[in-house]
Amino acid sequence: MNFNLSDSKKKLALAGVVCGLVAAVLAYFGNPANMAICIACFIRDTAGALGLHQAAVVQYARPEIIGIVIGAFAISVATKEYRSTAGSSPMIRFVLGMVIMIGSLVFLGCPLRMVIRMSAGDLNAWVALIGFILGVSTGAIALKNGFSLGRAHETQKESGAVLPVLMAGILVLLLCTSLLKFSESGPGSMHAPIIVSLIGGLVFGAFAQKSRMCFAGSIRDIVLMRNFDLITVIGGLFVVMLIYNIATGNFTPAFDTPGVVAHSEHLWNILGMYAVGFAAVLAGGCPLRQLVLAGQGSSDSAVTVAGMLVAAALCHNFGLASSGTALDAETGELVAGAVTPAGKVACVICIVVCFIIAFTNKRESAK
Amino acid sequence: MRKKELKLVVTFHTTADAMAMEKACRQKDVPGRLIPVPRSISAGCGLSWCADLCDREGIVAMMEESGIESEALHECMV
Repeated sequence: MNFNLSDSKKKLALAGVVCGLVAAVLAYFGNPANMAICIACFIRDTAGALGLHQAAVVQYARPEIIGIVIGAFAISVATKEYRSTAGSSPMIRFVLGMVIMIGSLVFLGCPLRMVIRMSAGDLNAWVALIGFILGVSTGAIALKNGFSLGRAHETQKESGAVLPVLMAGILVLLLCTSLLKFSESGPGSMHAPIIVSLIGGLVFGAFAQKSRMCFAGSIRDIVLMRNFDLITVIGGLFVVMLIYNIATGNFTPAFDTPGVVAHSEHLWNILGMYAVGFAAVLAGGCPLRQLVLAGQGSSDSAVTVAGMLVAAALCHNFGLASSGTALDAETGELVAGAVTPAGKVACVICIVVCFIIAFTNKRESAK
Repeated sequence: MRKKELKLVVTFHTTADAMAMEKACRQKDVPGRLIPVPRSISAGCGLSWCADLCDREGIVAMMEESGIESEALHECMV
């Protein structure tokens, strides 16, 4: 079994369209409209479901995350692309995973959600795109200067299967026990039926694995090689979500749209996504790509995912996550979303950490 | 649309090796360019060096001289 989704830009765009349709279907069936399938938000919700943080409105073991990892695992095994690898500076990758999550929760979304928010007309996401491009470009400069976390090596094939098995375990807990926490209100309470979410995740993971969909990689390839293959995938997803948002009346070109779960602190939108873009290039992929790489056998990416999970919990335990602009339920007044003081400090620390990692880990010392 | 041709594609263990390859090739006037690793070769998303098949010997010699280790040399349509 083999199908090549990447031998032409048309097929790559088609893969993006399929993933966009999955996101639209998930939003239609109940996921928060402009989260749809946000990797950072859904890892954060899963951390809440496991009781790693106590923010009651964002606790739900999202089947989409489970589905993406298992979907990438299944398709890579079926097409003989599963390779169990490990050993490329795992703890630095853990830290990069933390940076990615903290930056995402300062901005309020991973790069995938940034694109989904852009397709809904949220101008804050367009502002954040500037930071993301700058972050990826800084990472690309580090690559040009010899940044390396060292090579990964083939390892026991069971090692690469650990994360998919753990994800399957969370699915069993979700379906068969009452151990996990469920939000009764807020974004965590809004979700598509489990079976729709799971199938959506499986399809998304499989197509993302075949197309190598990566938000950071697509901009990295443009910066380093003027190559537009990967951005074509993102373009396909963006167009579908744009059409969906216009068709359902969810397209509102504005900064302060209540209910979008976004804030209008431009500097921090830029810096949050700067940290995400920078760390994602150093780690070799955006949050979605990390899930997919972990699914196809990379223990290094699985460690990055673990870093994101832990940081998601810390973000809520330490008050690093921003709040979104919303209408006050009692007064009906618009309450502006905001970045917390602790979140600002954490974001700056994350950027400093990225620079230290980027310019101390060199190719010569990695060998 | 550009017609695909059979090319030499050199893959590396790390992105840093690919960047070092680009630098060395530019310094020594060895022909070729960086491209994303073709999907038919790998599910990974690293970088590779693409050149004409006839440049193979010169590229291999330059890599030995510069201490750049390749993962593999492929011939594929790019």
